[in-house]
Formats: sequence, structure tokens, C-alpha cells
Amino acid sequence: MPAVVEIRELVRTYRTRRKAEETVALGGVTLTVDDSEVLGLLGPNGAGKTTLVKILSTVLLPTSGTARVLGKDLVSAPQTVRENVGVVFGGERGLYPRISARQNLAFWAALYRLDRRTAQNRCSELLERMGLADRADEPVETFSRGMKQRLHLARGLIHGPRILFLDEPTTGMDPVAARDFRALVRELRQEGRTVFLTTHDMAEAEALCDRVTLIDHGRLVLDEPTRHIGRYLDARECVDFTCDDPAVLAQVPELAFVESVEPRDGGHRALLREPADVARLLVWLIERGVLSARRSEPTLEDVYLRLIGTRAMSV
Amino acid sequence: MNALRVIAAAFRLQLAITRRSPGHLMILLTSPLFSVIFLSLVVSGQRSGTLVNGVLAPGLIGLWLMSLDLAASIIEEERWAGRMELLVASLTPVSLVVFGRIGVVILAGALTFFESWLVAVVGFGADVPLERPGVFVVAILATCFAMAGTATLLAAVFIKSRALHVFQNALTYPFYILGGVLVPVALLPGWLEPLSRVIFLSWSADLLRGSMSGNLPDAWPAWIAMTIGLGAAALVAGFLLINRIIDQSRETAHVGHS
Repeated sequence: MPAVVEIRELVRTYRTRRKAEETVALGGVTLTVDDSEVLGLLGPNGAGKTTLVKILSTVLLPTSGTARVLGKDLVSAPQTVRENVGVVFGGERGLYPRISARQNLAFWAALYRLDRRTAQNRCSELLERMGLADRADEPVETFSRGMKQRLHLARGLIHGPRILFLDEPTTGMDPVAARDFRALVRELRQEGRTVFLTTHDMAEAEALCDRVTLIDHGRLVLDEPTRHIGRYLDARECVDFTCDDPAVLAQVPELAFVESVEPRDGGHRALLREPADVARLLVWLIERGVLSARRSEPTLEDVYLRLIGTRAMSV
Repeated sequence: MNALRVIAAAFRLQLAITRRSPGHLMILLTSPLFSVIFLSLVVSGQRSGTLVNGVLAPGLIGLWLMSLDLAASIIEEERWAGRMELLVASLTPVSLVVFGRIGVVILAGALTFFESWLVAVVGFGADVPLERPGVFVVAILATCFAMAGTATLLAAVFIKSRALHVFQNALTYPFYILGGVLVPVALLPGWLEPLSRVIFLSWSADLLRGSMSGNLPDAWPAWIAMTIGLGAAALVAGFLLINRIIDQSRETAHVGHS
């Protein structure tokens, strides 16, 4: 598959107002994104994800390094890049809340130089597709969070871009709205669009992305196909269990074949040293009356927590 | 052609926003009060020769205040609402959107002239002359264009200003005087005239007064040209400055407030 985004040693630094200190937001990122790929860009707050999206959407200039979108350099040919990329930021911001969804889309269509007839057709088509046709002429401020986000997506698609940047698009959505939104992203991939998704939701990244890239302190710490992500935990096996007996629970980490135990979804997850240890632990737990136990595999969240740790919680 | 379509789209956008949120047109409520003050002075002084001044001054002041208000808020609102980054990422220069949006509010603001006329006729029973209605309409349109061009330039200047409100206030009375809004430029001290003549208001105010009273010189088309020319110069300067500020913001990472 040909690469649609090629990033080489991309650096972005910021200076504070007093120009005394320089902050490195991106410290030499090299990355390639293939055609029709959904790439998940993960990392804690301040890791550099949004900076990377802003550079690739031409909102920011890089300090050094190069980035090419569909073969065009985004510094020397920003207009060509803009024709081919759509940007969708998450949250309430970015729309004109007092006018209708249709009026919002018509405005953005003009900014992307669509002629009037094409704009009208594209607006109606996208409103229908996003499930907003019935409310198309109502003010956006009356919309739910999920509806606003679908309108954001419609706005990002108004000029038919081949590449779409989604920056935390499901933040704050209820589970049903988030599920519907993810279904739309899958459709976009099937249409052959490349999607660049930044998210904090590991389950979302795992469900949607062909590949995940983990970024921390402005540097890539992982770039792997999602299905191979478990390799980063040395292919270790896991056992998820629920145990109400504190004495038994306290013994599990002490077992020779258990590497660590972490709280997980109301229960615990034991990471084992060898695949063969799964049966040993399951037997050990059953003998002590723990009947809710099952084998599982390391998830993206496990990898994330292992590589980033708990710093994601820090400011 | 594309630029005109974008300006028209921005025009329609602002029209839709203004219909639901007419805050920028607040001046239409306060302008009649200015008219009452000016016309009271004119009528109580029994100076019928200055009646035209009393009608025009509130309209021009209203338009100028509206321009300052828009110029100070339009870009900042886009930044706070998280739309500036999306505008920058689009195929269109932000300056075209700014001009289109300002234009529609200023055109609507031209109603202040009608309000002022209404106050004079209904409130004071004055017989307001309008000797050259055709020229008057052209003069109003030229004034609105120049006002929108100047507001576009001010929008760019205000982004750079650290004391926005002080600056905004400082641009009121000096402009009313130098622009010949309160009294004709010809009545000001002679040494002020060169300064006055670089302000489009000085040409448009004289033009509007002349079209109402009938005292228009033969060279009045040149006054229209000066009004439009100065407005266009401000517009071009505004476009260049806004584009430059956007380019700088892409370097310094100050495009939005997020």
C-alpha cells in the first residue's frame, strides 16, 4: 500500500511568551501512514498528539523536519494538502451554534470552494448520512453532544478529503453515541479514506485502528499493527479473576509464576511469566474457591500502562 | 470569483447569525438617542442650516461604533470558539471571511441613517432635505464599503493590541472630529485638513451632507472615488496584515486558544 503521510524527523518546539524557555512538543517524529489505514495516535495529555495533528493539517508549522501528505510537502504546498485533508476536533467547539446544521455546512462548503449546486447536494447527503437530516434546519446549540460530533464529522468531510484527522472525537459522548460514531469511522475506512485518530480510549483504538502509535514526550515509543500489540508485553498470558477473599488475593502476587497483579474492571488481572502458567494459576484459584477466572490476552491498555505508566494522570 | 463567493458565504453566515443574535446591531437602539441629542441642539438653536448635520452625525457615529465593536470581537470570537484553526486549515484566507461578516453587519447598520431621519421628521417635525437621492444612495454604499474595509484593517490591528479597549475608545472622538462627522472639515482649523483627508469619513461625510442639502460640487464623483479608494486601501492593508498575523501564528502556535 502506498504511503499517504510521510513524516521524517519532525520537530516542533514552543517558546514561552518571555522567550526564556523552549518546550519540545515533538522531538523528531518519523512515521508513515498507509492508504486506507486507520492509525490510532495515543499518548498522555501533553504528549504531542494534537501538535502532530495540527502540523499535518497545516494549522501549525514544524520547527524542523519534513512531512508530506500525498507526496506534497505541507510547508511549501499547504493549499494542496488542505484540499486533501479534513480535520475534526472533538468537543463542543468549532461550530457556529446559533445557526442551523445546514447553514454551518454550507458555509464550510464555500470555504472549500465547492460550487453552489455541489455544496447543496453534499450538505444534504452528509446530513442524511450522519442521521441529522430531520434536524438539519434547527440551530446547532439545540443538538446533543453526539449530534454535534456527527456534524463536526460532516464538516470535515464536506470537501471529500482522502485523509481525515479525528482529534479525540468521542470525548464526552455517551456510549451509544460513541458506538454510532465509531461505526461511521469504519464506513470511512471502507470507502478508502485514511483516518488519523487521536484518542485516550484504549478500547476505541483497539476496536477501530489497524495500527497504533504511542507518543510520549514528543517521541514515538511504539508503532505497531494493533493485532500485534501484545508483543510488547513479551507475549505473556494473563488471567482475569474476581476474588473476594483478601487473604487469597494477597497470595497471588507472591506466586513464583505470577509476574504482577493489577486491578482491572472490578476484578484483577494477573500477568504470567509463561503461557503454560495459565493452567497452573487457574487450578490454584479454583482450589481456593475462586470460580470467576478466565484466560485473557494483554490489551492495548496493558501496553499503554506498561509503557506510559501512571504519568497520564499527572499534569 | 472564488473570493467573491467566499465573501458572499461569509455574508450569508453573518446574516443568519445576526438574525438569531442581533447583539452587534444594538447600535440601532442607541442611535436614535444620539439623534435626539443632536437634533435638540440644532432645533433649539433654530439653526436650520445644520439640520443635515444633526441627521447625519448619529448615523455615521453609529456605523463607526459598530465597526469598532465588530473589529474588536470578530477574530477573537473565532479563536475562543475553536473555529480559527479550522478556518486556517481551509482553502480560504481568513481575511475574506472577516470582511464578508463585517460587511453584512455594517450594511444592516446603515439603517441608523433612516432612524435618524425618522427621529427628525416624526420627533421634531423637521423638514429634512434630500436634494440628490441618487448620489445619497451611492454615498451610503460607498461609506459602508469603506467602513467595512477600515473595520477589516482595525480587526487586524486589534489582534496585535495589548490594550484593546483603551485603543478602541481612543478611536472614537478623534475620528468624529477629523472625519468631519460632527462638523464639516471646512470648519476645522486649516492645519487639520491634510490629516482629515486621509480619513475616508471626511469625504463620505461631506458627500452625504452635499447630497442632502444640494450643495454638491461638480467634482463629487471624485469624492466617491476617494471614499472607495481609501476604504479599498484599508481593506488591502487589512487583508495583508491578517494574512501575515495568521502566518506568524502558525509559527508561534497562537492560532487558537486551545
